[in-house]
Amino acid sequence: MVRAVADRAFLPAKSLFEQVGNMMILTGKTITAAIKPPYPYGGEFISQFLFALQLCWFPMMISTIAFGFGAPGLQAANFLSLFGALDRLGGFFILASVREFAPFVTAVVVAGVAGTAITADLGARKIREELDALQVLGVDPIKNLVVPRFLALMLITGLMDIYALLFGITGGIFAELAYGQPLGGFFATLFNNASVTDLWGSILKCTLFGAIIAVVCAYKGMNASGGAEGVGRAVNQAVVIAFLGVFAFNYVFTQTLLATHPEISVIK
Amino acid sequence: MADIDDRSVEPEPYEEPAPELGRLHRDYVIPGVSPDEDNPYRWHTGEKRDHGGEDAIEVIDVVKQFGRTRILNGLNLGLPDNQISMVLGPSGTGKSVLIKHIVGLLYPDAGDILVHGESVPNMTDDELFEMRKKFGLLFQDGALFGSMNIYDNVAFPLRQHTDKSEEEIGEIVNRRLREVGLAEATEKMPNELSGGMRKRAGFARALVLDPAIVLFDEPDSGLDPVRTALLCELIREVHEENGGCYMVISHDLGTARRIADFIAVLWKGRIVESGPSAELFESDNEFVSQFLNAETVGPLAMD
Repeated sequence: MVRAVADRAFLPAKSLFEQVGNMMILTGKTITAAIKPPYPYGGEFISQFLFALQLCWFPMMISTIAFGFGAPGLQAANFLSLFGALDRLGGFFILASVREFAPFVTAVVVAGVAGTAITADLGARKIREELDALQVLGVDPIKNLVVPRFLALMLITGLMDIYALLFGITGGIFAELAYGQPLGGFFATLFNNASVTDLWGSILKCTLFGAIIAVVCAYKGMNASGGAEGVGRAVNQAVVIAFLGVFAFNYVFTQTLLATHPEISVIK
Repeated sequence: MADIDDRSVEPEPYEEPAPELGRLHRDYVIPGVSPDEDNPYRWHTGEKRDHGGEDAIEVIDVVKQFGRTRILNGLNLGLPDNQISMVLGPSGTGKSVLIKHIVGLLYPDAGDILVHGESVPNMTDDELFEMRKKFGLLFQDGALFGSMNIYDNVAFPLRQHTDKSEEEIGEIVNRRLREVGLAEATEKMPNELSGGMRKRAGFARALVLDPAIVLFDEPDSGLDPVRTALLCELIREVHEENGGCYMVISHDLGTARRIADFIAVLWKGRIVESGPSAELFESDNEFVSQFLNAETVGPLAMD
């Protein structure tokens, strides 16, 4: 009785900590395997990169334009128009889009589109015992399967962030135009507030988002169990945990960036 | 297991169970064992009859538990070199778990596994990957790589671990595929093959590096009797040609009679008895005798 109550109370927490610990270990093993020769994953890296690019480019374009136009665009423009300060929308886009929304939308799209594909792929291989077969054949699945996906997802999220910035700002331009404003003021405040720190911060953050998504999705895929239903469950869990991880990491990264670069807090 | 008491079976003299087995001390579950059962191992003499050779694989006091369920419970086993060994046992007794321990896919909670005298659980990842090159493993469903055709599946270990030219690889792969009767299926993808064909392709892949140890996880499951017989014949032929330690896991007695030189009977996570197959088929152990003669009366019941 006591054991049953204790199990019910503590086992989920124990399982959570174990999973987080295992993901940390997988991250360590992945980084070690990526650095340590030999490097047999070149071909798989290119194929995974192109696969993720093919899957993500269109959803990214639609999501970032729509999001940029809708959330920071129309909503902020509505507010700024009260003060006759619609030209400030450009400056606001540095704050909103470059620092936050572009990396967020990129992470959400990459996790939902490419991350789930990784979990489903590795999960199906796990269920069919392909991963065990690889290991028995003396092939390290981390080096040959996880590392290329990890590197490909980091690169694709970093690059997709630039793509998201461009299309996100395009959404802002549409919002400015929707309010019948000339674009001169928008661009003036945009470039006035933009800094190199904002750009590298955004790209670095997004690249690390990619690492988090890759590790979570690979881990859940490689630990899928229970047939096809188990793979579905793993995909679902992977997305939820990846979002949690990304959002939690975003808080830590933003705090650190603002603390170490206070000049970017000044609104010009 | 209440039936056990009702049967006219003379149990072995009762031995005081070790503390971890007594019902008051046991905080884990053994599949197929009632928590009220005092000594679930009364037929497990653990006797290992002499097979006249050296052991290639030694499993020493291995314990493995998943959650509260103990699958292997102090398992001791020696598998002889240059013989075909068979681990027989009812479903759910830990046969596949045992194979995964031998190749280092699972680690024991306690105990050790020695392959040619080297401890598998104590190996580093690199040593483990190196050691696995001496293994061939036929998985239950073949475990072929879904993204490769049959030829590439069989060629995969050669491309990974040898410096052979594509021409040499082709020669070996085609020979192995001819042996398993898949010479015409080289371009097919795994999902285009039947279960038996996938198993034969997996067998070809397991043999392609001429491994010193080959493990078969239920090679006869899902096969019709003729194909099972043909596969057994093939295992026997390949073993005669290559030698080495072959271990077959199954619960099929026909397969055991056809190919086994050495048999170990596994139940409730422990070896009941092991020895040369001819001797074991004549064993006077109640459990072994019931299982190897497929009798309905004896310690093993439907539950």
